[in-house]
Amino acid sequence: MKQQNLTKTLNPAVQFLINYAVPIIFSILVAIAIPLSGLPGDYLVREIMTRLTRNSFIILSLLIPVMAGMGMNFSIVLGAMAGEIGLIFITDWQIVGISGMLLAMLISTPLAILLGYFGGIVLNRAKGREMVTGFMLAFLMNGIYQLVVLYGMGNIIPISNSDILLPREYGIRNAIDLVGVRGALDKLISLKVGGLLIPVVTLLVIAALCMFIIWFKKTMLGQEIRSVGQDNNVAKISGINVGNTRVLSIIISTVLACYGQIIFLQNIGTMNTYNSHEQVGVFAIAALLVGGASVKKATVPNVFVGVILFHTMFIVSPRAGKALIGQAQLGEYFRVFVSYGVIAFSLALYAWRARVEKENDRRKAMVLKREILQSTNPAGGE
Amino acid sequence: MKGKINNIIENVGLPRIIIFFFLVLLFALAPIVGISLSISINDVIVRFGMNGILVLSLVPMVKSGCGLNFGLQLGIIAGLLGAVISIEMEATGFAGFFMAIGIAIFFAVILGFLYGALLNKIKGDEMVVATYIGFSSVSFMCIMWLILPFKSPNMIWPYGGTGLRTTISNQGYWFHILTDFLQIKIGNHIAFPTGTILFFIFLVFLVWAFFRTKTGTAIVAVGSNPEYAKSCGVNVDKMRIISVILSTTIAAIGIIVYEESFGFIQLYMAPLYMAFPAIAALLLGGASVGKASIKNVIIGAFLFQGILTMTPSVINNIIMSDMSESIRIVLSNGMIVYALTRTMRERS
Amino acid sequence: MISITLVVALILIGIFLYTTGKEHKILIDNKNFKVGEVAYNTNATYKIWIDNQEIGLLEEDERGVAMVAGASHKIVIEEMKDKVLTGEKYEKKFKLKTNERATINIPAMINDINEWIDKIN
Repeated sequence: MKQQNLTKTLNPAVQFLINYAVPIIFSILVAIAIPLSGLPGDYLVREIMTRLTRNSFIILSLLIPVMAGMGMNFSIVLGAMAGEIGLIFITDWQIVGISGMLLAMLISTPLAILLGYFGGIVLNRAKGREMVTGFMLAFLMNGIYQLVVLYGMGNIIPISNSDILLPREYGIRNAIDLVGVRGALDKLISLKVGGLLIPVVTLLVIAALCMFIIWFKKTMLGQEIRSVGQDNNVAKISGINVGNTRVLSIIISTVLACYGQIIFLQNIGTMNTYNSHEQVGVFAIAALLVGGASVKKATVPNVFVGVILFHTMFIVSPRAGKALIGQAQLGEYFRVFVSYGVIAFSLALYAWRARVEKENDRRKAMVLKREILQSTNPAGGE
Repeated sequence: MKGKINNIIENVGLPRIIIFFFLVLLFALAPIVGISLSISINDVIVRFGMNGILVLSLVPMVKSGCGLNFGLQLGIIAGLLGAVISIEMEATGFAGFFMAIGIAIFFAVILGFLYGALLNKIKGDEMVVATYIGFSSVSFMCIMWLILPFKSPNMIWPYGGTGLRTTISNQGYWFHILTDFLQIKIGNHIAFPTGTILFFIFLVFLVWAFFRTKTGTAIVAVGSNPEYAKSCGVNVDKMRIISVILSTTIAAIGIIVYEESFGFIQLYMAPLYMAFPAIAALLLGGASVGKASIKNVIIGAFLFQGILTMTPSVINNIIMSDMSESIRIVLSNGMIVYALTRTMRERS
Repeated sequence: MISITLVVALILIGIFLYTTGKEHKILIDNKNFKVGEVAYNTNATYKIWIDNQEIGLLEEDERGVAMVAGASHKIVIEEMKDKVLTGEKYEKKFKLKTNERATINIPAMINDINEWIDKIN
C-alpha cells in the first residue's frame, strides 16, 4: 500500500531527484573527484573538448532504438565492426585524407546495413529481452569478426598491403596505424581558440546529426517509430508494421554507429583491430545513462551531458584514486567499476520504477472497476 | 517418419543437433589426425568435473523464474574470498579445502540474500541488470583485492608488498585434492579424477533431493506460475531469495572445485565473463530461459567441455592454425542468443 | 529506377573518392642523368615543393621521397647555391594513374626532356 503513492503523487522536487538520480549522483562524485585528482582546469577542458568531438556521434546513434522501445542498443558494436572493416580496406588500398575516410564510410555502409538487418531480426525474435540479447549478440559477432579479420583476411579476402598483416602472412595485426586518415575530418577546418584546437567540420557534422534526429522525430517514419515504442498493440492497430519498424530503427542505429566509430578512430589515429569496438557499447551506454537517459526515454541533451560527466570521471579517476588510497591502479579499477555500476544502477532503478508504475496502474484500474460495479449496482455486494 | 524427425528437430533445436554431430565428428577425426582418443576423453571428463558444478548452480534460479543467472560472478566472488582466506590461514589438504568451502558459503549466503532482494524489486528484467551487477561487483572486488590486508607471502606482490597477486597458485595447499582422491590411473597418461566426479555427483544428489522437499517444490511452483503459488499461500519473494542464495552458494563451491583442478586462483578481472560459458553449457544441454533440469546440466556440460577440448586440438592439426578461441566465442555466445530468441515460440 | 541510379551514383562517388584519395610514392633524384649518349649533370642544391608543400632540400646525388594523394600534381624546384636562393625556378605538372608510382629526375626536368619523369605501375 505504501508503494502506491511513490512516483505519482510525490512533490515535484523529489520526483525530479528520482528521475535524474543517476546524473545527480554522478555529478557529486565528479565534483569530489576533480579537486582530488589535482588536474589543472584547462587540461580538463581540452580533454573534454576532444572527447566530445570524438564520442558524441556514436552515442547519438543510441537514441533511435530507445524511441522504438527497444531499450539500450548494445548491438551498436556491430556497426562499429563494420566501420573498422571499412578502415582496414582503405588502409590496405592506401587511400588517404578525407577521401579515405569518406570511402571507408561508403564501403562499410552496406555491411552496416546488413548487420543491422540481422541484428534487428534477432532482436525481434527476443521481444521483451532485447537488451540481454543485443548484449550477447555483440559478443557473438565479435567472434565472427575475429574469424573474418584474424583468419579470413589475407587468406580468402585479398589484402595486398603487408604492413597491416601479421608476420604469418594472413590475419590483420593487432594495431593498425591510421596515419593516412588521422585527423582527416578534424583537420579539414580547425580554429585555434585560446590554446584549444577546435575541429570545426566534426562539430558541424555532430550538429547536423542532432538536427537530423530532431527533424526525424517529426517525420512520418519517426512518428511510427515512436508509436511502436510507446505501445506495440496500439501501433499495430493503426496499421504500422511493428516488426519492420523495429528492424529499421536498428539498421539506422547500426549505420550511424558505423560512421561514429570511423569518426572516433580518425581522431585517435590508431585502430586496435580487436579491442577498439569491445568497449564501445558499454561506454556509450554508460555515458548516455549518466546523462539522464532511461530505457524508455533518451534525448539529445542526455548525450552531451553524459559525455561530459562520464568522461570527466574517466579522466580524473586514476589520479583521484591515487590521492585517496595511494595506488593509481585503483583509479583504473574504480573507473571500470563506475562504468558498470552506473549501468546496473540505472537499469535497476528504471526497472523498479516501471514495475511500481505498472502496479499503480493496475491498482487504479481495479479501483475504477470496483467503483463502476458499485455505481451500477447500488444495492451493493458482488 | 519424416514428421517424427521434424518434431525432434523442433523440440531439441537445430543448433543443438548440429553441435552434437560436430562433436561426434571431432571425436571421429581425432585418431586420424594423430590425437589419442583416450587422452582426449580423459581431458573432457576432467574439464567436465571442473566446470559441472558452476553449470549446476544455474538451475535453482531458472526453476524459480529468475531466469539465467548472469550475475554468477557474485557466487564466484564468494568462492574466491573463501579460497584466499583459507590460504591466508595456511590451511592445507582437505581441511583447507573444506575451510575454503565453509567460508565461501558464509559469504555466498550474504551476497545471495542481497542479490535476491534486489532481483525481487525488478521482476521481469533480471537478466540485463544481473549482468551489470556481476560486472560491477567484479570490478569492485578488483579494488578490494588491492586494499584488503592480506599478508601471506604466497599471495601478495613480492616487491610492492600490498595487494593480492592476479593469479595465486594453490599448490601445496589443496591443489588437486579431489582430483587425486581415489584417482584411477590407466597407463601413463590417463588419470580419472574420481574425487572430483564423486563430489559433483554428491552435489547433484543434494540438489535433486532439495527439489523434492517442500521448499523445493514451492520454488518450482513460483517459477512456473507465480500467481497460483501466491494463492496457495507461498511467499513468492522469499522463495526467490532462497533460490538465489542456493544458486550463489553452489557457484561459490563450484569455483573452488574449479580451482582445485586448475591449480590457480584467478582474481581481478578473470571472473568477468565466467557466467557466459556456464550459461551456454546449460542451454546447450536443452535448458531454456524458463526451464532447466539436472539432465540439462550433465548433457550440456559434457557437450560444451567436449567441444572446448576437442576443437583446438583437432582443428589445429587439420588447418594448422589456432582458430579455437574464436570458434569457442561463436559457439557459446551463439547458443545463448539462440536460446534467448526461442523463448517466444515456447510461450505461444 | 531510383535505386539503380542511386547505386550507380554511389559507385561513381566511390571511384571518385578512390582516385582522389589514393596515395602515391614519388621519388625525386638530384642525380646525373643519361639518355642514350647525352648526359645531364647536376651541379646545385634544390629546394623542392610538391603540390605547394615543401619537401625539403636535395643536395647533389641525393634522393628524396614524397607521398601524395590524388591524380594531378605539380612540382616546383628552386635552385640554391651556397645556401642562397639564386632565383632560378622550375615548374612541371604531371598526372598519375591510380596504381602508378613515379621517379623524377631534376637535371632532366631542368632541361625539359621528355624522360624527366618515369612512371611505374
